[in-house]
Formats: sequence, C-alpha cells, structure tokens
Amino acid sequence: MSADPQKETGDIHHELHSHLPPEPALRVKAMESLLVEKGMLDPATVDAWVEAYSEKIGPKCGAAIVARAWIDPDFKARLLENGTEAVKEMETAGWAVAHLRVIENTDDVHNLVVCTLCSCYPHAILGPPPNWYKMAAYRSRAVREPRVVLEEFGVTLPDDIDLRIWDSTSELRYLVLPQRPAGTEGWDEERLASIVTRNSMIGTHRDLDPSAGSA
Amino acid sequence: MDGIHDLGGRQGFGKVDVGEKEEAFHSDWEARAFAIVRAMSKPSNWTLDKFRFTREQIDPVNYLSRPYYDQWIQSYAALMVGSGVASVEELASGKSSGAAVDLGTPRGPESVAAEKDHAAAQFERPYDAPFKFEKGTTVRTLPHAHKGHTRLPSYVRGHEGQVIEVRGAFIFPDESAEGVERAEPLYTVAFDAGDLWPGEDLDHAVHIDLWESYLEPV
Repeated sequence: MSADPQKETGDIHHELHSHLPPEPALRVKAMESLLVEKGMLDPATVDAWVEAYSEKIGPKCGAAIVARAWIDPDFKARLLENGTEAVKEMETAGWAVAHLRVIENTDDVHNLVVCTLCSCYPHAILGPPPNWYKMAAYRSRAVREPRVVLEEFGVTLPDDIDLRIWDSTSELRYLVLPQRPAGTEGWDEERLASIVTRNSMIGTHRDLDPSAGSA
Repeated sequence: MDGIHDLGGRQGFGKVDVGEKEEAFHSDWEARAFAIVRAMSKPSNWTLDKFRFTREQIDPVNYLSRPYYDQWIQSYAALMVGSGVASVEELASGKSSGAAVDLGTPRGPESVAAEKDHAAAQFERPYDAPFKFEKGTTVRTLPHAHKGHTRLPSYVRGHEGQVIEVRGAFIFPDESAEGVERAEPLYTVAFDAGDLWPGEDLDHAVHIDLWESYLEPV
C-alpha cells in the first residue's frame, strides 16, 4: 500500500465510474464474465446462491425461530442466552450466523435494529435486507428519531415504553423476538410462524395480527 | 474515515420508503450481483473490513445514489484493480486480457448446501490480556477517529455511555481493514439519546457494539 491508501482507492473508484457501463445490469454481467474467464467463479455456484436466497433462505426462517420460542420456553431461554447455539437446533433456520443475539420485545420494551455505518443484517436468517434498511433515510434517522420512523411504518409506541435501538457496528447480528399476540392460544408452530412478519424481526412492526395466520 | 457512509443522526434524507415490495431481490441483476459476491474466489487479505472500507471510499454522490448491489460490484471491482487481479479495461469489457488468477478451483454449487453445515465466519478470538471494562462501567468514547476504517460512528464520539454487555474478544476492524488480524475486547455500550442530541426531548437508548480502544474510563 502507498502512503495514502484512501486516495488510491478513491482514484480507482473514479476511474471505474468513468469507464464502466452506467447500467448496473451491464456492470454485473461484465464482472461475472470476467471472473469466469479469470478462473475465479463457477456460474453454476452463482445459480445455486440465487436459488437458495430466492427460495430457501428468508423471513420464514426467522419466523420459524420465533414460533419455536413462543411454544417452547426452554428453547426461548437458550435462544436469548446464546442465539447462535440455539438456532442450530432448528432444521429450517437457514444458514449459520456466527454471532447471533436475539433481543426480546415485551409489554415494556421495544427493540429496533439498524446499521448506521453500512447494512449489517442477519442475512442467513432473514434473507437479503430490504432496500430501505440500506438507504440513508433509515440509517440516519433510526438512531435519532426512531418514534417518527416507526410512525412511518404505522407503529405508534406508548409514551412510557423502553425503546432500545441496536446499531449493528460489530459482527454480532441482532434479531428481534416479537411478542406473541393474544388470540393464538393452542396454535401449532407452523400456524404461529405464518403471522410473524419480516419487519417484526427488525423492529419496524410491533403488534402481530392473528387474522393474518394460515389455518 | 469521516465519510458519507457514517450516517447515524444525519438529517435531511426524507422519509423511509415503507411501501417497498417485500421480495428477496427486485431484479435479476441484483440477485446475480449478490450471488457473485458469495460465490467468487477472493484473496485471503480481502477481509470483510477491507471490503467495507473500499465501499466507504466510493465518492459521496455515487454512494448515495447508485443502487446498493451495484456498489458491491463497484467495490469488488476496485479491490480487483487495487490488488492487480484485473484492470479497469477488463472490468469494463468483461473480457480477460491476461492470465487466469491462481486462487484455486472456484467453489462449485455443492458449496452452497455445505455452508449450512458450517458456522459462518467466526470473528471471536482467544484473548489473554485482562478486559479493561466490565458490565455496568461508565465509559467515554474517543472524541475523534482516524482516516482509515473504523466502526466508531461519529454520532457517539466524545460521549459517555454504560457498558451493558461484555461480548468477548473480536477481530479489531480498524486494523483488519489494513490486513492485520488482532483481537480486542468488544462491549455493547448504551447511550441516552438525550445526551447525544440534547434539546430534542428524546427518551430512547442507543446500544452500540464498541471495541476497547474506542473507549476511555470516566
């Protein structure tokens, strides 16, 4: 590295920006072709990752974890104690997250997850994050005016609630455990999982709706 | 680095797009870009922090306006150029003008299923020295950062907070971005939003994971 690596990388970015095709799709296509030619990429592996994240890995993996925690108090205790280890018990939990922390919503506590510096997110459990999670509006405002942000998501919190924002600055990945709503007594795990939304596991949704559940 | 990426607490970005359709990818190229990054061979010194630092150095206009996965591709392209793996011309044309890069056989599709059986990358490391702080300790963050990569966001710098969890010793990102692997104690620190932004009538807490060398005793 030269004495001023920041300048060097910045210069490379500028050069790339003026030479690469402006359309993202064309940039990606050129990158894929080049990596294959360079012996750095097997296109069949790209297909396999697309399939995994389009069909298998996604919010339903997180929903299964939440439903299990609602039904099994011992699992819930293990999940809150050490999320990484507890999730290994799940068949459908998705890929591993090495440092998973599960944070619980209660009547008195609401949790909201953000990554102000980039876009850290438990991909392997929730799938790729929504665009809004990666954009400046959410990243800038979630830590400073979370109640206003939550109102935009249709969530109005009680005035006296303990509101905790988790800024994912390290390799710990945070997953919110939402509250089980009333009216779901006696439901099995699968039915419970069907009412757990992606946003409820980020914290931008709070009151889950039993009528959204599959019978 | 005091870059545009350090967005916590900044103002003027408008409302969150809450109407976004809920789907894994919004276009084929997004899915392709995401999967290429998972599947491609990478030299061992392309750490996650080096990648993050590379993305942070995209110029601010592009950082705020180019699509997210386009920025991933842009950042890997910059890493390839910076490491001598490819030229700008090759990345523009998609055609290799030099020899293949020897990083071993690229991972096959079976590696996708196999990943389920392995823990994802581990960032915790053994650590023999004593931890400086414990749960309940009041700490103060450094008032400024440095020009390299850091995970100490500007909005908490120079503020007092309380250690609420001791997480263990984790790879220190500021040095990992420069290719040096060294572990340091990591703490989750709680700040009162009312201290971070006085006069705004805020009652929430912000919890952030911070490495030991970002913190001073009070």
